[in-house]
Amino acid sequence: MLDEAKKEYEQIEVPAAFHKRVEETLRIAQERKKQKGRLMRMKKRKQILKAAAGVAAAAAIVFTTALNTSVAFAKEMSGYPVIGTVAKLLTFRSYESEEEGIGISVEIPSLEMIGEEVPGMSKEVNEEIYELCTRYADEAVERAKEYRKAFLETGGTEEEWLAHNIEIKVAYEIKSQTPDYLSFVVSGTENWSSAYSESRYYTIDLAEGRLISLADILGEDYIELVNTSIQNQIPEKEDELGMKFFTTQEGGFTSVSEETKFYVNAVGNPVIVFEKYEVAPGAAGEVEFEIKERSGI
Amino acid sequence: MKQDLYDMIVDYVIENQDKFYRLAYSYVKNQEDASDIVQDAIFNALGNCQALRRPEAVKTWFYRILVNECLLFIRKRKREIPAAEESVFETPYYEKGYEQEESLYKQINMLEADVQEIVKLRFLEELSLKEIGEVMNMNLNTVKAKLYRGLKKLKQVVLEEEL
Repeated sequence: MLDEAKKEYEQIEVPAAFHKRVEETLRIAQERKKQKGRLMRMKKRKQILKAAAGVAAAAAIVFTTALNTSVAFAKEMSGYPVIGTVAKLLTFRSYESEEEGIGISVEIPSLEMIGEEVPGMSKEVNEEIYELCTRYADEAVERAKEYRKAFLETGGTEEEWLAHNIEIKVAYEIKSQTPDYLSFVVSGTENWSSAYSESRYYTIDLAEGRLISLADILGEDYIELVNTSIQNQIPEKEDELGMKFFTTQEGGFTSVSEETKFYVNAVGNPVIVFEKYEVAPGAAGEVEFEIKERSGI
Repeated sequence: MKQDLYDMIVDYVIENQDKFYRLAYSYVKNQEDASDIVQDAIFNALGNCQALRRPEAVKTWFYRILVNECLLFIRKRKREIPAAEESVFETPYYEKGYEQEESLYKQINMLEADVQEIVKLRFLEELSLKEIGEVMNMNLNTVKAKLYRGLKKLKQVVLEEEL
């Protein structure tokens, strides 16, 4: 009887397109590996730079009192590389711990504004970021504990659990910093499941000292502008990634909204970010679209 | 050394890709999704090849990644698709009187998710019980118990049909 079942299972036809897909996948993986090698080398270099920045940041703290009391002093100091702009991101609180085999590392950033035009703004943003980070960390630990419970109850051993190496990470990353904008992302991830990853993007207009939206950069009719741009870019991205995006019926891209995630890149263009699975198969990972168009005014 | 491991996984993937496809397909019953899942699993495996500590365990290691991708996909789907379509993933209501010719394979697909998984890995993919334990993160006795439960159920169905 089981033999027959096996036969039927083996008769599931494997389409030729699938073989091609695997071939393509292996090729892309190879590409990514090469790139990763490059990135790692760059990262090492960055770490050295970071260490240098750390020293500068320490110096910045010493200056804080002076900065708060004297805008002129801030302006004078702005020739200094690290505090060359009116805003920067510092790690406000960071901790690592491990409990019941669940490792967690949290790095909460805090936005520091230098200058007079931002009463209360950074405080509001910082409170939001703090809330986001702590809530995510708490929920992720809760989820991991439930997982652990289920794991042990279904016959897993403590030892096997430890081998799982569960890690939760809350961190931030500066996407770009230009003379006009500061863009950063705060994100939470769990290494055992990508289903609960969360990220929030922030872009600060440095001249005005406030959070900005797509509408601020692209004008009131930004939705149409961005949608058209994305639709135009999809075929190109599909070629580049070697896979099709979801169609509308499959729950793919329809339209951007106020909630759409974006950052501003080094040349000042907004970049739309879609999460894994949001518009394309998971293998594509996060998908980004740079919007170069501007509404014709 | 690291390069060897990478190449070994590539070889393993090329050699066994049809099996991966079938397993994924048996979860999602759809060509596109099955291909996506296998693709994700391959990226995952190759991207984390340093996590494979014992090269001889490549089989259980890869199946584990694949099974995880399948489950992740199904969970994600469930979250995204509102109730109307959710029933796709539930055991369909099954009217015995009308379709007596249901094959055993279809019966397997109606077992509880983890029991189904074990039966598939054991008889369709021909993994050993120990290997299944590693893939599913269960100890050997749990695997055995679940496998026997599944087989008992299948036997029942088969007997009922033959009567």
